Amino acid sequence: MKIRVIAAALTAAGLVLTGCGRSDTGPSTGPAGGSPVASGSATGNLTMWAMGAEGEKLPDLLKDFTASHPGIKVNVTAVPWDSAHDKFANAITANTTPDIAMVGTTWMGEFAQLDALDPTPANIDKSKFFPGAQATTEVDGTSYGIPWYVETRLVFYRKDLAQKVGLTEVPKDWDSFKTFVTKMKGAPGVKYPIALLPGGTGSWQTVMPFAWSNGAQLANGNAWTLDSPEMAEAWTYYQSFFTAGLADKAPVAGSTEADFASGKVPMFISGPWMMSAVEKLGGAGFADKYDVFVMPVKKTSSSFVGGSNLAVFKNTKARDAAWTLAEWLTQPEVQVKWYKLSTDLPSVQSAWQDPSLTGDTKLAQFGVQMKTAVAPPTFPTWEQVAVKFDGAMERVAKQNANVGDTLKTLQADATSIGTGS
Amino acid sequence: MLEKRPAWATALTYVLLSLALIAVTAPFIWMVLGSVKTDAELRQVPPTWWPDAATLDNYTQLFARMNFAQYFVNSVIVATVVTVGNLLFCSMLGYALAMLNFRFKNLVLALVLGTLMIPGVVTFIPLYVLVVNLGMADTLPGLFVPFLAAPFGVFLMRQFVQGLPADLIDAGRVDGAGELAIFGRIILPLLGPAMATLGILTFLGSWNNFLWPLVVAQNEHSYTLPVALALYTTGQNQTNYGLMLAGACVVVLPLLIVFLLFQRRFIEGIATTGIK
Repeated sequence: MKIRVIAAALTAAGLVLTGCGRSDTGPSTGPAGGSPVASGSATGNLTMWAMGAEGEKLPDLLKDFTASHPGIKVNVTAVPWDSAHDKFANAITANTTPDIAMVGTTWMGEFAQLDALDPTPANIDKSKFFPGAQATTEVDGTSYGIPWYVETRLVFYRKDLAQKVGLTEVPKDWDSFKTFVTKMKGAPGVKYPIALLPGGTGSWQTVMPFAWSNGAQLANGNAWTLDSPEMAEAWTYYQSFFTAGLADKAPVAGSTEADFASGKVPMFISGPWMMSAVEKLGGAGFADKYDVFVMPVKKTSSSFVGGSNLAVFKNTKARDAAWTLAEWLTQPEVQVKWYKLSTDLPSVQSAWQDPSLTGDTKLAQFGVQMKTAVAPPTFPTWEQVAVKFDGAMERVAKQNANVGDTLKTLQADATSIGTGS
Repeated sequence: MLEKRPAWATALTYVLLSLALIAVTAPFIWMVLGSVKTDAELRQVPPTWWPDAATLDNYTQLFARMNFAQYFVNSVIVATVVTVGNLLFCSMLGYALAMLNFRFKNLVLALVLGTLMIPGVVTFIPLYVLVVNLGMADTLPGLFVPFLAAPFGVFLMRQFVQGLPADLIDAGRVDGAGELAIFGRIILPLLGPAMATLGILTFLGSWNNFLWPLVVAQNEHSYTLPVALALYTTGQNQTNYGLMLAGACVVVLPLLIVFLLFQRRFIEGIATTGIK
């Protein structure tokens, strides 16, 4: 798009404008961050931003909230996921942030560094959340929000095809996982037994579960640790699926669901939203033809935790009301109700005891994996390093590059980008 | 006067033009056909060209879930006001830069050309802060006021006006016309083709603009069509392609109508100015 500076200048000079939007206010001079909120009695008008389907469905859920909190009015603005980050970044610069918002877990470091977020009040119980999810809110030891909903990555596989090649037990460790995938290749109609991302955007979310399961870490304190022996071992293991012809080096983007439903590629690693996607494609009865299992163990079984957090912006004029709403959204019964409305998985561990979640054996597996799931560090520079990570993996998977050398380069790149602190 | 072209050259021309036509229209046809396919069919490998089982579900969903009329009206208002603003202000400044003599004329021209060189991303945040400080965030004017005159339009108009004979203006002066009368009664009527070009390009740009309305609108009520479409079709981890294609068809339709209405003048404009 073209933005016309001269137009703006002419406009400013030539037009008399009366403001009718939100007035520009400086940073709130309210209570210092982290102090407890006056729960129960808070009042105020809240503007809340939520992305995509969450923004669309949230007003339904909030009817209960406004009924029990008559003093608080919530106005939800649904923001498209596409470019939502830009909208937040602009709003932070111009001081037009909402009072409370759904914030992507990987944005926390950046927004906290811009001093936009209000630290979580001390009286909110942080131990009720999955530890991996709670960690996504913590920047430099301070928590700047609370986990709202979570997702983690599991291995999806076609149970019916596995049975055809005599596989009845799901693999528990790396060796048996490799054997399992290799045998799956023999199932009728299978082209590649597993779909793994050969680098490219977001591939770290599939690679890191293997690395974390091998005890590797992305960073230690304030230093990147991308070339550790554990990381190298995991990358070599991941690479071996491509060199052995078990995974396609050049899969067609967006074909995972269709190939899984047709049985061409009967395994992949992804998140809970894939269940409805493959069931929609597979048709009636497909839900019984596939299953999921947790990441195979090397030292642990540690997958990736994603989802979204709730954050209150420092600029808010109704801090107590905003935190009251955030806390209400993480009550176990509200989380269960939200799951039923949106299929977003609860971030609060006790909500998983509800029959609507325990009754589904596949979902229960996600619940198991969540307990040990890990998130990348909340450095503001992580997104930049992630791009380098994905590029490095692409060379390893597609061009069979040497893992040791590639990781050394990646480590050097990451170190020059820094950790933002 | 014309030499007769050999038959093979004519044939070659037709083949090349047909290939170009296919290359240009195929994605468009695919979009229209895709909008009546189910999501499952769209994800099918290999993809189908003709829908197996045509369905209007995507359209039903689109109109049921979206407050379509509101977004459509917003889009029309913004695109129309921006277009009218550009036609008026760009032709005024373009005329002044081409025909009038005043102090700092060359400086103004250099400024206009200079802003043409600056990429939009650089000025995005400052412009947003400016709009917020003017109290226009979350208002419809916030969506169009910054774009009422564009350097490209000024440049286009200046080049076009320079091609007009200066005698016309002198004749006007002799007859006692003021500057406004000269501009309004002599110059404007001659600007037809350039206006059509600028009008359609501006309308197109404004209609498809995504990031600015997304950032400025603080409330769904002031969303424009592209923003609303992105909201309902793209999720955090998944995209509803059927809905997206149906939405694209709906967004493109008004543009097609505008283009067909102005098509002749538009092509004339390109031919006359030699600038796209």
